[in-house]
This record gives sequence, structure tokens and C-alpha cells, in this order.
Amino acid sequence: MTDARTDIHQAIQDAVAVSLPQLGTVDFDAVLTSEIGLDSVQIMDLVMEIEDRLDVSIPVEVLAEARTLNELAGRIEPLCKDGEA
Amino acid sequence: MSLFDKFADVAKARADLDRAEIPPVATPIDAVHSATEGTIGGRRVILAGTNNYLGLTMDPDVVESARRALSEQGTGTTGSRMANGSYASHAALERDLARAWGWPSAMVFSTGYQANLGAISALAGKDDYLLLDSDSHASIYDGARLGHARTVVFRHNDPANLDRRLARLGDDARHALIVVEGLYSMMGDQPPLDAFIEVKKRHGAWLLLDEAHSFGVFGERGLGVAEDRGVLDDIDFVVGTFSKSLAGIGGFCVSRHAELEYVRLAARPYIFTASPSPAVIAATRTALDKVVHGQALRKQLWRNIHQLYGALNELGYTLGSADPGPVAAIVMPDRESALAHWYGLLDAGVYANLMIPPATPKGLNLLRISLSAAHSPDQIDRIIDAFGRLQKAA
Repeated sequence: MTDARTDIHQAIQDAVAVSLPQLGTVDFDAVLTSEIGLDSVQIMDLVMEIEDRLDVSIPVEVLAEARTLNELAGRIEPLCKDGEA
Repeated sequence: MSLFDKFADVAKARADLDRAEIPPVATPIDAVHSATEGTIGGRRVILAGTNNYLGLTMDPDVVESARRALSEQGTGTTGSRMANGSYASHAALERDLARAWGWPSAMVFSTGYQANLGAISALAGKDDYLLLDSDSHASIYDGARLGHARTVVFRHNDPANLDRRLARLGDDARHALIVVEGLYSMMGDQPPLDAFIEVKKRHGAWLLLDEAHSFGVFGERGLGVAEDRGVLDDIDFVVGTFSKSLAGIGGFCVSRHAELEYVRLAARPYIFTASPSPAVIAATRTALDKVVHGQALRKQLWRNIHQLYGALNELGYTLGSADPGPVAAIVMPDRESALAHWYGLLDAGVYANLMIPPATPKGLNLLRISLSAAHSPDQIDRIIDAFGRLQKAA
């Protein structure tokens, strides 16, 4: 795993601990909706927490393409590199 | 495998609610007797969850305008504004709306939902950015989905959070449209508009204010929170609906920018739908005049608001907003107590709205009262009495 990817995973883990503490340990390969049971509002709250930790803006279009946290991390990585919204 | 498999969870949730004799969601209203009274499940109730803020649905002048237009122009336009659905009255209502704000341009849409869908999807194009408050109404999110702008969400009512997102855009912030609401209908809270405007100006961005729930209620002429706070000059676009204070169905967008007219050429929810019926347009024109000159109605509404908010606070309820407004969102500890309260109110002759996740922010279970200028002092007393008895029984 690259350094950038490690940072993103850590940020996601920290964000989950803050915005979804009830989940405990999170499986990065579980489907956010059907397997973890998150609704759209919970996913949005989680993403805003991740954005603040990484100082990056994650467009909502990205969320539609990411079914799991691993997929989300993969979509965030180029955004961090570009330093763009 | 079936196309319908994906509805299993939501269908089960709905079936659970529908098991009751009177379902708390999509509750059948058997009859409407006035702006504030109806019959549900054979019982006459006070309607306290209707968004009928000024009570104009039964106003004799509004009803007569609709009746006359219905007789003279028929039941529908049977066409879109771009084809055969642009009557003189549609253009007249647009002129009325523009004049109310003192701005050069206004557009009428067939619903409030379509007003946001059309305005947002057309204004923010492929190379633009949309910055949405996280508690935005579904029509705002759907407007973003219909359009091609890059969409970023900022924390609810948090100008500093918006500031950080605009800062990341650099010069591109000049192509960013910020969308906030004048009154958030779930929690009943209002935006820190001055702070948002300061951030918008500093980054050279644009601001669209959705006054769906605040129009008619706030401001000397009822134009909404921007008028109330004296910041109309700093707003680029106002979107609103006819289906609350204006007591009909439809929506609008008004702007200080004459170029709003271009949106007519690009907004698919405006182009590819039938225009509002002549009766709706006629009723809305009369209702708009009553809103703009409705200081007495607003005075009565605010008397009701302060009375209910004061009483609910005294009873120890947790409210979604500390600032009183036409929506009183009562935060319940869980779904069971929200349901018990909803049925308790109905038994006491009060119809309210039950709001449950995922429609609500932060997974909250809410009971929502929306007040009307047409609620009499006696009706407000009965609503408060019902809450008092429920609180005592809890």
C-alpha cells in the first residue's frame, strides 16, 4: 500500500470512529449500504468527516461509484494528488 | 430474481407502518373542511402538518380566481411553455414575481421540485461547481444529479466549512453556485445568511437561496429570510414554491440577473413538462398579492408560532431549532415514542407529521407541527393541551 493510500485508510478509520462509532471495526470490503446498512445521510456525514481529515473535497458523483470503503479510498487517492475539489 | 427485489427493505418498513388502521405515513385525509380542519379515520382533527402557513387554500378571493380561470380557460394547458402552454397569465405571474422582488427576471415551473431541479441543473453546467448544504432538500440534490456540475457538500449551516471548500477551488470558485435554504423543513432551523454571504463574496461565488418554507412567513412583504435580514441585494437567485404559503402547486425562480431568461432554453424540467393549469396560475396571482400585502396574516402566524414554541419549551420538549418559526420539529428519543406521540396527538384530535430516517438529518425521529395564520387561538390551545397530556402520560 502506498503512503498516500495508508493515510487515506487511516483518515477513513478515524472518520468512522467519529461519525459512526456504533459500527466498531469496519470491513473495508463490505458494501456500505446492503452489508453495513448505512443510509445516504450517514454516508454523507462520513464523507464530510473524511474530507475534513484529508483537507480534500470529495464530489458526490464519486460516492455513486464507490460501493465499499476500499473503493472510496481508491477514488479519493487521485483527488488528494491533484489537490483539487 | 426480479426487478422488484431491491424494494424489499423499504417495502417491509412501509408494511410495518401500514399495519395500523390509520397509517402515520401517507395518512389518508378523508375530508378537508377548512385550512386547518379535516377528517382522518372518521375523526374531525386540527390540521397541524400542512405547510399552509398563511391559510390561503380556502381564501374566498383565491378560490374565486381559480374558479373563474377554470370556467374561462379550461382545466389544463395540455402543453409545455415552449409549445402551446404559455398563456398570457403565465407571463403575467412571472412579471408579478419579478416586480415583488424588484428584479428583472422570473420563471414559473410546474412544481417547486421542478423549480430546484430546473434552475440548479441549468445554472451549474459541466465546468461549474455546486456547493450544497448537507441538509438540502431532495429537489436540490436531484438538481445536482440532473446537471453536470461537480458537486461538493458542506456541513449544515457551517460557513467556515463552506469557506474551506471554496478555498480549495481557488479561482474556480467564481464558477461555483452555493445553495442554501431559508428555512430547513425537517428541523425548522434557519441559515446564518450573513456569514454565508460574506464567504460567497470573498470567493466571488454565486448564491441560490431556496425560500420554499420561508416565503410568506419572513420579511415585511413576506419575501423570505433574505428580505427579513436586509440582504436581498446579496442573493443571486431565489427559488420558491406555490405549494406552501401560496396555497397552490408550482414553483418559481427569480433573479437579479436578467440572464435568468437563458435558463428557459436549457432547463429540462421547464421545457419537457406541461405548464401549470390556468386555475393554478390565477389562484397563485391572487395569493401572491395577499402574501405581499399580508402583514396581518403574518402577525397572526407569528403569534401562533411564539405561543406554541413557548409552550413546547415549557413542557420540556427538545425542539429542532431554538429560533421559533412556522415549523416546530419535536425531537423524539426513538421511533417507538415518535409513533406513540403521533397516535396520541391524533387521538386528541391533532394531525401532525411523523418524520423518520432516512428522510431526517442525523437519523432523528421527529414529530413536525407546521403552523398556520388560519389556526385560531382555541386550536393552538388544543394542540398545546394535547402535548401537555402526552408529556404527563410519558
